[in-house]
Formats: sequence, structure tokens, C-alpha cells
Amino acid sequence: MDQAAQQIALTPKDFKSALKPVWCPGCGDFAVLNAITKALAFMGLPREEVALISGIGCSSRIAAYTSVYGFHGVHGRALALASGLKAARGDLTVLVAGGDGDGLSIGGNHFIHACRRNMDMTYIIMDNEVYGMTKGQASPTTAPDWADSKLTPHGTGIRPFQPAGLALTAGASFIARGFTGDPNGLAKILVAAIGHKGFSFVQALSPCPTFRPEQMLWKHHVKAFDQEISSNPVEAAQRIQADDGMSTGIIYQNERPVFRPGTGVDNGMGSIESEFTI
Amino acid sequence: MSLAEKISDLDTFLTYSVVLEEEAADRHDELADMMEVHNNPEVAATFRKLAHYSRLHAREIRDRSSGRSLRVIAPWDFEWEGMEGPETGDISDVNYLMSTGHALKIAMGNEQRAHDFYFEISKGSPDPAVRALAAEFAEEEKEHLELLEKWLEKHPESDEDMRWDPDPAHMPE
Ligand SMILES: Cc1ncc(C[n+]2csc(CCOP(=O)(O)OP(=O)(O)O)c2C)c(N)n1
Ligand code: SF4
Repeated sequence: MDQAAQQIALTPKDFKSALKPVWCPGCGDFAVLNAITKALAFMGLPREEVALISGIGCSSRIAAYTSVYGFHGVHGRALALASGLKAARGDLTVLVAGGDGDGLSIGGNHFIHACRRNMDMTYIIMDNEVYGMTKGQASPTTAPDWADSKLTPHGTGIRPFQPAGLALTAGASFIARGFTGDPNGLAKILVAAIGHKGFSFVQALSPCPTFRPEQMLWKHHVKAFDQEISSNPVEAAQRIQADDGMSTGIIYQNERPVFRPGTGVDNGMGSIESEFTI
Repeated sequence: MSLAEKISDLDTFLTYSVVLEEEAADRHDELADMMEVHNNPEVAATFRKLAHYSRLHAREIRDRSSGRSLRVIAPWDFEWEGMEGPETGDISDVNYLMSTGHALKIAMGNEQRAHDFYFEISKGSPDPAVRALAAEFAEEEKEHLELLEKWLEKHPESDEDMRWDPDPAHMPE
């Protein structure tokens, strides 16, 4: 409760835009939006000092539904855009969000390098183990035997990625998993992730009732990790490997040098504007 | 120690009550928005009406709290029995083809849980003033439940009657 004293005048609703989400009723992405807005309100961040960058997909629409600066970008390129923004405007709190397809298929290369680079930003993968926007194809987190898409009538037969494990190997300095069925728990994780100095990765298990209706049962399987946050990558790796992917909480946190391109150089707007002076 | 035992002063109780009602109102509005966007105007109107009632109740509690210092509690530090406040409907319980009857049943579940929350506190709080106010709120929730029961009688249709969409999102071949 002590931390709560930081609370300020802006409410979570103030961090929402006037646009009504077009997500299917029941979609987990609504809860991610609620968790982000609760986290930002709790942290008392001025809206003009926050930017939310996304790629393409149902989940990536989230940028339009908040009242902070946003950029609904190019498929798989949210992290590239966000890195550019952070390089130019290191003072901004940069959040990045998108789906498992956006971040782990087409954007997979950007993901591992963003982890490695360790720029100070928070990346949320809204993981529904499917491409929702394009009507239900398998993604890199889909189980190999999921056969409900006509593109993969017998399943993909391919082992899925473990996003947390991938992030750890690639060098992310903060790794957590949350669940949309517990939006307040997810908001708490986001507060820690945003507060972390470096690249923080949050996998938000976010069911897609339309193409993966069976995910509505996740709420009966998700549980909290029973161990404390680890700063030891070997321990964290063991923890991720031993888990069924349904445990939530902060898995790993370890401060390491943050990549700040242009540090020491005047990156203020003045110098950018002067380049355009004729 | 149970939550009822921990709610040992009026300020804490009123804080819980205000948040319970305001979050319920916000969720009802959120569900109404979802239904509006997905062209289910009847259910949208039902959720909107429920949001209105929750907001009235929240305002009433805010008025009763005037002059008191409500606590500042982080959303995750509320010790609700479930993942969210007892009157906050679960987002995952809705579908764009749902019926008004289904929406009312969700609302009844919310009111029942809110009643149980207040009732527990009316029995278990160490503070007599908290117990008295909680008993009053529990009684009000019971009245809401009765009103909803009457409302539901006018909506015997089930979701099955609604489950037809000539152009569904999901059409596996
Ligand atoms: C360059 C490019 N390739 C493919 C697409 C088609 N496309 C749009 S969204 C999407 C995948 C969405 O899946 P995911 O990122 O998991 O998000 P979800 O919709 O499930 O939230 C694809 C393949 C595109 N828009 N641009
Ligand atoms: S298709 Fe799935 S992911 Fe997309 S909005 Fe609908 S429920 Fe959400």
C-alpha cells in the first residue's frame, strides 16, 4: 500500500482514447488494455511522456485505444520503430505491444535483437497462440497438434517457441508472464516492467475466444509461479523449462548495461529541427 | 485473518465499496461498448442501463464518504475473493451473439457476489459502524437481485436463439 501513495489525479480511464475497441467481445486483449491503463495511472506518468508502439494484428490495435502517443506500425516492425523512437527521444517511456505472430514470426528477428540490445522499453506480447486478425492460422506459439485451421489440417507438427525462454537466451533483462484473467496482477507486473531499466518482456496470455475458444479454459489452468524472481539466468532457464507455460509472475530480472545510442550527443528536438533549416 | 476482519474502519470499507461499484459501472459500460460495436443493440442497452445503476450506487457511496479520507489502494492490493471486484463481470463471459437473458444472468451473478461480500463484512468486521453500513449495502444488493429477477422474467430467450450469424468470423471448412 505504501507504493500506492504515488497515485495521482489521472485515472485508468484517462489513459483510454475515445475509440471503442473492435475486438470480439470476450477477447483477452480488453484486459491487456485495462492492465496497461491501470499501470500507467498508478505510476502517475504524464500521457505526453509515454508512447505505445504496435505492429499489425488484432492485439496491435491497442495503440489506438490509449490516449498516450501511439504508432500503429508495420507488421513485425513494432520493436524497430520503438527502438528508433527511444534512440531519438530517450526521455519517453516506451511501451511496445503486439501479438505472438507479430512479435515471434515476422518480427522474430527484431525480438531477439531487441532483447540483446537491452534498450529501456517494455514489450508486451499478447499471446493467443494464433493469428487472430487473418482468421485463425497457427503461430510460432501454437501447439503442434492444433488442427483447427485449414492451413494446417493435421497441425503444424512443429515445436512451439517458449517466448520467455527465447527472451532469456537473447538477453532480455526482465522477463515476466501475466494472464488477462487477472488484469490487476498483470497491471502489477507491468508497473515493475516499466520501472525496470532495460528491455522488459511481458508475455500476456490473452485468449482468443473466436479462433481458440478452448482458451477460455485457461482460467482454470493458470497459476502463480511459486518461486521468487530470479536474477540468475541458469535458474530462470530451469524454471521456464520446468513450467507448462501457464505460470504467471516475474521470472527473471537482472540489471545490465542499457543500450543508449547517441548518449552524450544532443538528441533534443532543437538539433533535429536545425537539420531541416534551409 | 479474513478480509471482513481486516476491514476494521469505515474509511477502508468505503474505499472498497466505492471501487467495487465504480469498477462494476466501468465494466458494464465496457460490455455495452462491445455489444454496440458488434451490432447487438438490445444487449448493449441492457449493459448500459446496468452501468447507469452501478454508477448511481457508486455516487451514493461517494456522497456518503464526503469529508472522509478514502484510502489509496493499488488495484492489485485489494483482497477480493476473485481476480477482480465481486460486482465486476468477467470479460470472458460474453459473446457478440449473446441474449439479454444471458446479460441479466451475468448481472445477477455480480449482484449475488456483491451481496455476499457486504454480508460477510456485516458479520465479520470488528467495527460496529462498518458492520451496520455493510448490512445496509448487503440489503440493497439483495433488492437489486430481486429487481433483476423480475427483469429476467421478461427475457426467456436464450443464447441459442441468438446464435445465427450469416457471416460469422470463424468459418472453418
Ligand atoms: C507484411 C505483412 N504480412 C502479413 C500480413 C498479414 N497479417 C496481418 S495480422 C497477421 C498476424 C496477426 O497475428 P498476431 O500477431 O498473433 O496478432 P493477433 O491478431 O492474434 O492479435 C498477419 C499475418 C500483413 N499485414 N503484413
Ligand atoms: S479474432 Fe481473436 S484476437 Fe482477434 S479480436 Fe477476436 S477474439 Fe481477439
